[in-house]
Amino acid sequence: MIGQKRLALLPERFPLACQWEITCRCNLRCIMCYTDCFNRPVKIRAELSTDEVLRIMDELADAGTLELCLTGGEPLARADFFDIYGHAKAKGFLITLFTNGTLITEEIADRFAALPPYRIEISLHGLMEHTFEEVTRGNGSHQRCMSAIQMLLDRKLPLLLKTTAMTVNKDEVLAIKRYVNGLGGVGYKLGEEMRPTLEGSDAPGQWALSDEELRELNLQDPALWDEACARQARAGTLTCVSGQRSFHIDAYGQLQLCSGNRRQSYDLRQGSFLEGFYNHLPGFACQWKASPTLQLIQPSATHV
Amino acid sequence: MMPIMPWTDKIYAKNPDFVSREVAGEFILIPIRRQLNEVNSLYVLNETGGVLWNRIDGKRSAREIIEDFSKEFDVTREQIEKDFNSLIEDLLSIRAIEEAPS
Repeated sequence: MIGQKRLALLPERFPLACQWEITCRCNLRCIMCYTDCFNRPVKIRAELSTDEVLRIMDELADAGTLELCLTGGEPLARADFFDIYGHAKAKGFLITLFTNGTLITEEIADRFAALPPYRIEISLHGLMEHTFEEVTRGNGSHQRCMSAIQMLLDRKLPLLLKTTAMTVNKDEVLAIKRYVNGLGGVGYKLGEEMRPTLEGSDAPGQWALSDEELRELNLQDPALWDEACARQARAGTLTCVSGQRSFHIDAYGQLQLCSGNRRQSYDLRQGSFLEGFYNHLPGFACQWKASPTLQLIQPSATHV
Repeated sequence: MMPIMPWTDKIYAKNPDFVSREVAGEFILIPIRRQLNEVNSLYVLNETGGVLWNRIDGKRSAREIIEDFSKEFDVTREQIEKDFNSLIEDLLSIRAIEEAPS
């Protein structure tokens, strides 16, 4: 018997990792959010029911999926979140939870401590209340987020904090990173990408930093600069591997290559996961996918 | 002095805080609760280990499991006893099983 973090041998195509946007519901209205346009009653009513989520989850488990990222919207905004989470744990998934943290209470933190996820990732948009809440547009959200971070730290839960660099918080990014480094054992990730909304609006782009602003920001921190250089070096050599060992499911049960490419979907309400993954996903278009006959340089897969 | 019971007479029960899964042909054990030491580690069992894990039920003794196994598979009783003993020790060390009251 071997104890290990990762499986060693997997086929080239295998449904190992799922990112599942289990809801577009959210208690916040972040300015750059690409799912908030679907955070309205008519769309919420169309989301997968508890039974549907659990049925699809069983299919994923049977197919061998191991890594499950639950995201939103805000996953904890679903009233049935712990039914879904508990079921996922019982099925043996290694769960990563993307959350804004503001709905985490002592009771919820205790529940996570009893059944720990692989990792919890919280978006920390700013250290200062006014910066944070300029992003979230939610009064009191900064204080609730900071409390949640402390509650999870107190329980020694695996935590990663992340920031999307934007015009409104760019002057705090380095302070946020220093704060996170000072917490000890907590990971940090800086995102730079601003996606169009699910309805196709480019509105989030108005908050994006220019290339020059990003360069200026990254230059101020050796680790950020190293990451930026590594990204630059990879650009032009990467092809997209979405759909090979990873896939995305949206709040309505649509199976897709990844959350950044929803141009084609397979409806898991109508068909089985195995049918979707093995017979439909390989044919879905992706501008970053390598052509089987073309060995020229490919553009960077920045949407993964 | 109490006589020491041979390990093959013992009955073992699975810890329900471990989930077994088959992923791409590999049989793995996943601890799901905090009190287990390596909550984010996977434990990979070989084919024989996977079959034996499935037969640990908190009712049958190790000897009964070994006898059944050696009847069904082309392997000597000595070899399976050795393999099972090693597996039991490993599983006890990570608390994936415990000795059940006989």
